[in-house]
Amino acid sequence: MTVSIALPTGALLEGSLELLNRAGVVNLTQREVGRRLLLEKGGVRVVLVKPVDVTAYVDFGAADLGIVGKDQLWEVEGDHYELVDLHFGSCRLVMAVPEDSALGAPSTWPPVIRVATKYPRSTALYFARGGNAAEVIKLNGSVELAPQVGLADAIVDLTATGTTLRENRLRIIAEVGLSTARLIANQASLKTRAGAVQALVTAIRTAAEIANGA
Amino acid sequence: MRAAQEAILAEMRAWGYRFIVTPTLESVDVLALGLGPQQLRRLFKFADADGTLLAVVGEKTVSVARLAAGQLRGAPLPLRLCYAGSVLSNEGGRFANRRETHQVGAELIGAGGPAADAEVIALAVRCLGAAGLRRYQVDVGHSEFFQGLLAGLRLPVETEAGVRQALAGRDFVALEALLEATPLKSAERELLLRFPALRGGVEILEAAGSLVSNRRSEKALADLARVAELLEAHGLAGSVNLDLGAIRDFEYYTGVTFEAYGPDLGRPLAAGGRYDGLLRRFGRPAAATGFVIHLDLVGEAIGRDGGGPRLPRLDAAVAWTGEGLADALRLGSSLRLFGMRSVVDTEARALPAARAWARQVGAAQFVHCGSGPQVALVGADGKVRRLPPEQVVGRIAGVRQ
Repeated sequence: MTVSIALPTGALLEGSLELLNRAGVVNLTQREVGRRLLLEKGGVRVVLVKPVDVTAYVDFGAADLGIVGKDQLWEVEGDHYELVDLHFGSCRLVMAVPEDSALGAPSTWPPVIRVATKYPRSTALYFARGGNAAEVIKLNGSVELAPQVGLADAIVDLTATGTTLRENRLRIIAEVGLSTARLIANQASLKTRAGAVQALVTAIRTAAEIANGA
Repeated sequence: MRAAQEAILAEMRAWGYRFIVTPTLESVDVLALGLGPQQLRRLFKFADADGTLLAVVGEKTVSVARLAAGQLRGAPLPLRLCYAGSVLSNEGGRFANRRETHQVGAELIGAGGPAADAEVIALAVRCLGAAGLRRYQVDVGHSEFFQGLLAGLRLPVETEAGVRQALAGRDFVALEALLEATPLKSAERELLLRFPALRGGVEILEAAGSLVSNRRSEKALADLARVAELLEAHGLAGSVNLDLGAIRDFEYYTGVTFEAYGPDLGRPLAAGGRYDGLLRRFGRPAAATGFVIHLDLVGEAIGRDGGGPRLPRLDAAVAWTGEGLADALRLGSSLRLFGMRSVVDTEARALPAARAWARQVGAAQFVHCGSGPQVALVGADGKVRRLPPEQVVGRIAGVRQ
């Protein structure tokens, strides 16, 4: 029985392929994948999609399993199972302001702070939990620009090393969340194709735990 | 979809379930007795002239419970009821494109115990078969198994709330983090961590039984063993699995639960279970179990199965030309009198054009009435026989046998 797994293109792809290789699920290199979107090897079908689309493929059952950053799971409410923390691709969702801004602790924020982000749901939830009013502006890219041109007081964005923020003269004032890659599964696949899917989940879980030194 | 609904309702009637009509609108206060805050939020709501908040129903079990405790208060228990219709909800997020969905369901009210549980599961399976579905499987679980496990862990209140929330969100990474932080290591904790994998045949009951040590979970396993036996007696040994890790609304369900899956569909086609707490809230405490079939998904599954919904076939198409209309109408009436579906053309057509029309409406037999005393009966093979009209009905009935 072929099991399909959706992988995100971009930053998590290399780690995902490496993990699947170590788990003995499927051995593919970045070069083999190239620009292809669909590959089948040894009873495993690999579907390559944009990170934001992984949950759509899994929720609708077009893929049995998926590897996706936790940051994407924050943004959509889906019917999938989140099964394993894969411990790679870690990055932080942070709130940042221009270096010369007076904003720091919540007490220094304006009554309604304007925040630009690619992650509107996580951002709104963060401010709601803290009891702060915020106007969230959803952007699709170049979020760093927003405070420099007066579109927003602050941004909430993902950062791995902090380099991009520094280059744009932004200073981190709060951590909103911590993200790593996760293994997710379609709810029906765990039942209707239980044997094959569970075997893969176990192999991937074991490989991820070994890599994490557990 | 219509055909599937009719077939399902016929099956329910064959099991003695009475069809009831439930309202499209309910007061939000009434619905709040049976729905969780999440479900309430998704309803389409509006206020009527005196400010009462109303909602379009998002599922029908609450309405059925209200009727069973109200209008049907005098009717002796157990009540076997079924319903069909569309419901509305703002699903939000992933499936927002489908606000209106069609449901057919059945409820067995006033009967507890494994025999009642097995009855509704068997009925659900038979309904899916009647709808034309060939490949499907049913997973049977028990909400008390989980409740027992969780109570057995004796977690601090906040942690327990977190565990429930993580499980409801199917977030096992969060669940693991929460349980890691608790000092107690036990077989029951390990069971909770392996939750989605606790699935299989009757053998898993024994395996799980050796690991749990609390009354509630043990009782749940015993119930499931009995239900599995009874389902075998219902003739359903092959299509039923046991799923101890089923994640359902644990606030609502109080016993045996089940879900039916189709091939490659990604979501359950039908779901149900025991909800012994609901009727009490309407003032008529009673055990109850039931299920709902999502007709839209069943239609999709049948389509993927390649079967295609079976459209009710016409037995005869009656065409006419010249003075033939009166003969055609009489013929149509007699055919229907003998239980044959027949259509009489609304415009005059000569034989060749009528032949094309009959093919188009998809009738098994085709009759053409002209001005003469005899009519033409055209068989599936295209052969034309000229007969007096009174012999046609017998001929067509004979072919149909």
